[in-house]
Amino acid sequence: MGLAGLGAGLSAIGAGLGIGKLAAAAVESIARQPEASGDIRGAMILTAAFIEGVALFAVVVCLLAVLK
Amino acid sequence: MYKRFLFLVIAFSLLIGTLFADNTPEKKGDFNPSEAILHHILDSHEWELFSLSDGHGGHTPVALDLPWILYSSRDGLAFYTSTEALNESGLFHASHGKIHALKSGASTDTHAPEAHTDTTHTETAAYAEHHDANIDESVKVYDFSITRTSLQMIIVGIVMLLVFSSVAKSYTKNKGQAPTGAQSMFEPVIIFVRDLAKEYLGNKYEKFLPYLLTLFFFIWFSNLFGLTPLNSNIAGNIAVTCALAFLTLILIVANGTKDFWVHILLPPGVPPGIQQLLTLIELLSNLIIKPVALAIRLFANIAAGHFMVLSLISLIFILGKAGESVVGAMSGAAIGIPFSVAIFCLEMLVAIVQAYIFTLLTTVFISMALESHDDHHHAHEEEHEVSEVNKDLRLSDFGV
Repeated sequence: MGLAGLGAGLSAIGAGLGIGKLAAAAVESIARQPEASGDIRGAMILTAAFIEGVALFAVVVCLLAVLK
Repeated sequence: MYKRFLFLVIAFSLLIGTLFADNTPEKKGDFNPSEAILHHILDSHEWELFSLSDGHGGHTPVALDLPWILYSSRDGLAFYTSTEALNESGLFHASHGKIHALKSGASTDTHAPEAHTDTTHTETAAYAEHHDANIDESVKVYDFSITRTSLQMIIVGIVMLLVFSSVAKSYTKNKGQAPTGAQSMFEPVIIFVRDLAKEYLGNKYEKFLPYLLTLFFFIWFSNLFGLTPLNSNIAGNIAVTCALAFLTLILIVANGTKDFWVHILLPPGVPPGIQQLLTLIELLSNLIIKPVALAIRLFANIAAGHFMVLSLISLIFILGKAGESVVGAMSGAAIGIPFSVAIFCLEMLVAIVQAYIFTLLTTVFISMALESHDDHHHAHEEEHEVSEVNKDLRLSDFGV
């Protein structure tokens, strides 16, 4: 139970780092090139969903550890 | 359109005809959040819509009973209208989503019917024990039942059929005119998926477009259906996403060109020892890891969304000690409801983004399978040229 909680926390840290770096880069590139903001936003959301997906893999593993 | 809608309502109300109600006495202060959440996440043989409280801690679930369709070598094809009818038959026993065959002769026992009234959901220990002794492990039972998830998938399919046949009809009706109604709502999305297919599949896109559109809208619609309070969890069921990923795998294998298979089985330009290792890695990544990651990504995203919303709602019952403490329940609601509304808004986005990602990755995997040697070299040369131009530009920028 405790270890699963720790795992969920670690996966949140990982996903947070990933999405933070992604958002920083996206905001920077929108600032540099505002006319490309639509494309950049689309790519950002897509990549964010991928990063979130990896974090959710970890969440599922934690849930399996807790529930069964 | 209205006639069709009426048809849908009538078809649905026929199902409601099998509504059953059973009393499950529950102690006050007794709430198990993980059980309640799993009850929603997992598939079941009844479709519980809501439950009515009698004001004394008990509740009456209002649910649709779904049919059991079983096949076993001993009894052949068997059909039961509800879990109750199944357990009364004496041939099979269902508990906690698992189905077992009972030893023949167990049907003559007088114990089952009388014990039955209070055992549909929470079994008394004696009854469970009694049946455990009678379970016949040698008979393998195959369950082909229309479960909650499969019924909901059929409903999503019918809704898609109604929506898209009306969209298709308006394309012939308003030929050369501006789109109207549902057509103007779905046209941008259809064009979005078409452009995606065009970008990755080139001139072969038309062959795959019907499947890609169906895939996209099926996942999107079922995700949106999962956000209604109708107790639906379609893409959050690993069996559903595995089936979708299996279809992608079939498309990869069926459309793989000679060059695609050569690159997997005999990777060119590597020394012999490494080649075998690479073959193993390529086989694993193309035929197992890609589809499995596809299935787990969709499942985890949707199931985790449902988990989060249900956990936040469960806060009301955890802090309120299932009806004992009103102050606790109020504070639980104060925390849980705003957060779950926020998560719902996020889930609206996740619903379409996950449909997009699944479709995008399927398209990319198909395009990798379709790649033949000639296009490959061509693409590489072009890339090379572009990077050369970029280098020149950069050097001139710095005045070199």
